Order: sequence, then structure tokens, then C-alpha cells
Amino acid sequence: MEFIDRIFSTQSLFWFLSFLTILSALMVVTSKSPVYSVLYLILTFFCLSGHYIILNAQFLAFVNIIVYAGAIMVLFLFVIMFLNMKEDEAETSPTLIRTLATGTAIVLGVTLVLAFSTVKVAAFNPMAFDSQVGMVKNLGSVLFREYLLPFELASVLFLIAMVGAVMLGRREAGDRHF
Amino acid sequence: MLPIVLLSVFGIVVLFLGFSKSKNILLPATLLFLLVTLIANFVDWNHQYLYFNDMLWGNNASMVFSGIVLLSAFFVVALTRGFEQEGEAAQPAEYYGIMLFSLVGAIMMISYENLIILFVGVEILSVSIYILTGSDKRNLRSNEAALKYFLMGAFATGIMLFGMALMYGATGSFVISDISEIIGTRAWNEQSQLLYAGLLMLLVGLLFKVSAAPFHFWTPDVYDGAPTIFTAYMSTIVKTAGFAALYRLLAGSLASLQDYWFATLATITVLTLLAGNVTAVYQTSFKRMLAYSSISHAGYLLIALTSLTAKSQSSILFYSLAYSLSTVSAFGVLILVSQQQASNNYDAFNGLAKKNPFLAFVLAVSMLSLAGIPLTAGFMGKLFVFTDAAQKGTIWLLVVAILASAIGIYYYFRVLIAAYFKEGDLATIRIAPFYKVVLIIVTTLTIVLGLFPDLVLQLV
Repeated sequence: MEFIDRIFSTQSLFWFLSFLTILSALMVVTSKSPVYSVLYLILTFFCLSGHYIILNAQFLAFVNIIVYAGAIMVLFLFVIMFLNMKEDEAETSPTLIRTLATGTAIVLGVTLVLAFSTVKVAAFNPMAFDSQVGMVKNLGSVLFREYLLPFELASVLFLIAMVGAVMLGRREAGDRHF
Repeated sequence: MLPIVLLSVFGIVVLFLGFSKSKNILLPATLLFLLVTLIANFVDWNHQYLYFNDMLWGNNASMVFSGIVLLSAFFVVALTRGFEQEGEAAQPAEYYGIMLFSLVGAIMMISYENLIILFVGVEILSVSIYILTGSDKRNLRSNEAALKYFLMGAFATGIMLFGMALMYGATGSFVISDISEIIGTRAWNEQSQLLYAGLLMLLVGLLFKVSAAPFHFWTPDVYDGAPTIFTAYMSTIVKTAGFAALYRLLAGSLASLQDYWFATLATITVLTLLAGNVTAVYQTSFKRMLAYSSISHAGYLLIALTSLTAKSQSSILFYSLAYSLSTVSAFGVLILVSQQQASNNYDAFNGLAKKNPFLAFVLAVSMLSLAGIPLTAGFMGKLFVFTDAAQKGTIWLLVVAILASAIGIYYYFRVLIAAYFKEGDLATIRIAPFYKVVLIIVTTLTIVLGLFPDLVLQLV
């Protein structure tokens, strides 16, 4: 029993999910076919939602699945299928740029890893722990009380995006019909 | 707060005005709305305020910054002439609506107290500019510019957001006065490393928006590809709002860490000055030269930011105003000339002074101001910025900046030589009366501010 408990403990679940997240994220970048990339991206989002559940934020986990894995990624798949991309069409950038990009990525990675390695995380304090923080009720009250202004102003952002999408996407006289 | 509410409502009103048959009402309505907002912006004069649980902050300086942004927007909108030249494909109601909405983002970037407001503001402004860049749908260059800007901008915003998350991890707060307090309680070497990593990423994101080197590679292509009127719009408004945001971040919460970020920002300043000015020399297109000139002016503004003395804020403020005014008039002349000649090159200006002395004079004042010749606002702006650097004691930075402005004189004068001394067959260009009035006002302001800079400086 103890063995099973240990396997399914939160900590081992965390390591397993993290491993899966990073692996699928790497597969997104390395896959040759864009369709596979998108499917791996969906897997990545599911793993991230798993992390949210471990953190006791169920609402975020489901929103993440519904919005990202559900809506946006399906849209992605549609677009890729419409474009009918061939596998060999992926352009390769010049060697110099690739070397520089790799170098920059390594420097950034090393910097961040070093920064993270020095951080001392405060020990777990059961008194200050509130299991209800991630629940939708608390989230709602924070969103509509303290963060009301950014929440409302985000609507301006969406309105701009909507107006822009209609403006740029509208078919005009003389345009090609598909 | 009031301008944000007004602009959001006015933006929707303009979108609805687009339903009416006559498109002539759009331009006067938008100008009226901008004027009302400009007045409403100064309602809280001499009051310091905090709105919505420490989300928005404001004082006289932030109001003057918002005023500069609204004034530049007013001038640029006045130069659109209702998009009549664009023909059937133009959608003026949408253009004006998006312009008004984008100013909401600019004002949020100027007067944020919470980093979340900064993020939403940056997004509102950037997304509007992506759309306006690609608004010339049939032009392949415009499409390319919009896509390029959008992809790179999205990455920059992602990096910026990551930086904010790390700063939150290090300090436990998004409110910049709280962050400053928490940083103040710790010694230099006791700070969490996450704070430094987060600060750098946040700076990268914001410096991308103001096109500082080495994050400037998008600028020439985007400025060149976008419709000229929107190039004028983004080179004035994004720059002013971006530098107000950077100043607020560095002075409001990270001033005590100046020893840490000074070396980084000073390097970026030198790179920006050199990259902007040296590359501008090799351009044959006036529009592209103005793009590089906007990079180099980001460099001069960065000098004031890097020095961060007590006077930095007023120098940045004055410089942004001077730069915005001269840029608006330079683009105003370019729009007329490029329409006549169907070209943005220096050659298009050949012989401009012969039949169009007024336009040549406007161009001359604007170029002299951008180059920093005395008696113009640009000179006073450079003077204040250089004084900041001298006060901080960074003489080497000053030397680089003066060399850079010497190079600047060369490429700004090329167009003047073309306009005044070269032979050309440019016919008389008809200027609409209102357009002429705007150019006169902007040019007069450039000269008046060059003679009496205190008119603006005493405000803050």
C-alpha cells in the first residue's frame, strides 16, 4: 500500500507531469509535420492543466482546456489543413542566424537556470495555506473587485481585435473567391 | 481615468458613425472627440490620484505625457484628410475607431501603477498598430510589415510578461510602489536573482516597443511598409508612451537598483545611437531614413533614462514633444510629395522649394529640429538630455551622443539639399486649407518651443 501511495503522491505526480510537459513541448518544436506539432501542443496544454489541478486551481485547469486545447487548437488544426502544407516546405534560415539564435537561447537558458538555482523557496506553512484560493468563487471576487479595471479594459483590447479582424478579413469587390 | 473612459466611448461612437452614408462627418467628429479628451485630460490638474485599488496613478507629469500623446494624435488625424485619397478600399470609421482605442492603451502605459495595467496597455496599443500597419490590404509590403511586426511583437510581449511574472515571484507584488518598497528593504546583494532576471526581460519587452537596438530590426521594414499616415502615428505615439512607461518603471520602482541596470541600459543606448545614425546615412528612401531616425531618437531619449537624474522626467517629456512635432510635420510633407511623385525617395523632393516654398520651409524647420540645430525645439530637447548625462557624469556617453548627432546632420540635410538646391520638375502641390493650418501650427510650435522651452517645462 505504501508503495502505491508513494507512486501516486503529489510529488511524483508533479515530476511525471513536468517530464511529460517538457517532452511534448520539445516534440512541438522538433516534429516535421505541423499537424503533429499541433497535436503535441494540445498534449502540452493538457499537462499544464494537470499542474493547475495539482495546485488546487480547478477552474483555471478547465478554462485552459476549454479555451486553449479546445477552441484555439482546433482552429489551428483547421488552418493548417486548409493551407495544405507540405513537409518539405519548411524554410531553413542561414547558418549564421541559426548559430546566433542557438547561442542566444543557451545564454538565456543558463542565466535563467542560474537565477532559479539561487532562489530560496519559503518552507511550507500550514497556517497560511488556504486550499480555497484557486476556487472559482475566490477567483471571481478577486477579478471583479481588485482587478476590475484591467478586466474591463481588456474588453477594449478584444474590441480592437474584433474590429481589426473584420476590417482586414472582409472581402472586397474584385477579390478572389475561394 | 476620465480620458480612458471618454476614448473608449468615443471609439464606439465613431464606429457607429461609420454606418451613416456620408463619410464626411467622421474626420470632424474624431477631431472633436480628441479635443474634448485633451481638455478632460487636464481636469485633475495639480492633484495626485490613485484609482481602482492602486491600478492607475496620475500627477501633472503623467497628464502632460498623455497630453503630448493626444496632441500628436490630433495632428496626425488632422493630416488624414478623411482618407479620401485612399479611394473605395479605405474604411475610415474603422481606422479612426482603432486610433481612438489605441490611445486608451497609450494612456494606460503612461499612468499605470500596477504592472497588469502596463501589460494590457501595451497590448491595446500594439494590437491597434499591427492592424493599422496592415490596413493597406492590397499592398504586399503593408501585409508583410504587419505580419512581421505582429510575430515579433507577440514574442516581445511574451518575454515582457515572463519578466513581470518573475518580478512578482521575487517581490510578491505587481504594484510598482510596493515593489520599490520591498527592494528598498534589502541590500544590493540580498535581492532575489529572479528580480534581476525579471527586470531584464521586462526591459527587453519595453525596449522592443520603442525600437532600441538590438531590438530594432523590425523598425525599418514596418515603418516603410505601413501606410505613411500610420507610420507617422506609430513613430510619435508609441515612442512617447513607451518612454513614459520605461521612465515610470525605472524611476518608480527600480531607482535604487540603478547600479545594476545602468551598464545594460548604457550599452543599449550606445548601440541604439550608432545603429540608428550610421545606418540612416545609407538610405535612399526618405521614409526609411525617418524610420532609422526614429531609432536614433530612441537613443537620445535613452540617455535621459539611463542617467535618471531629478530632471530626467522633464527632459524626456520635452524631447518627446519636440520629436513628435517635428516628425508629424516631416511626414505631413512626405505624404503630399509622395502622392505627387509616387515615390518616397530623396529624389522626389528635388526642386521642392521652387514652386512649393511653404512645404519646403515646413520641411526645413522639421529637419533642423530633428538634427538639433539651435532655435528649434529639437535643439533644446537635445540640450536637456545632454545636461542629464553630464550631471550623471557619463562623459563618454555624451561624446558618443554628440558624434551621433553630427552624423545626423548629414542625412537630415540631404533632403534639404534636394529640396533647395537640386533641379526638379515638381509642380505646385495643392494643399487643403485645414492641412495647411495644421502644418503651420506644428511648425510654429517647433520654433516657439525652441525659443521658450519653459512654456512646457514649468508645467511639471
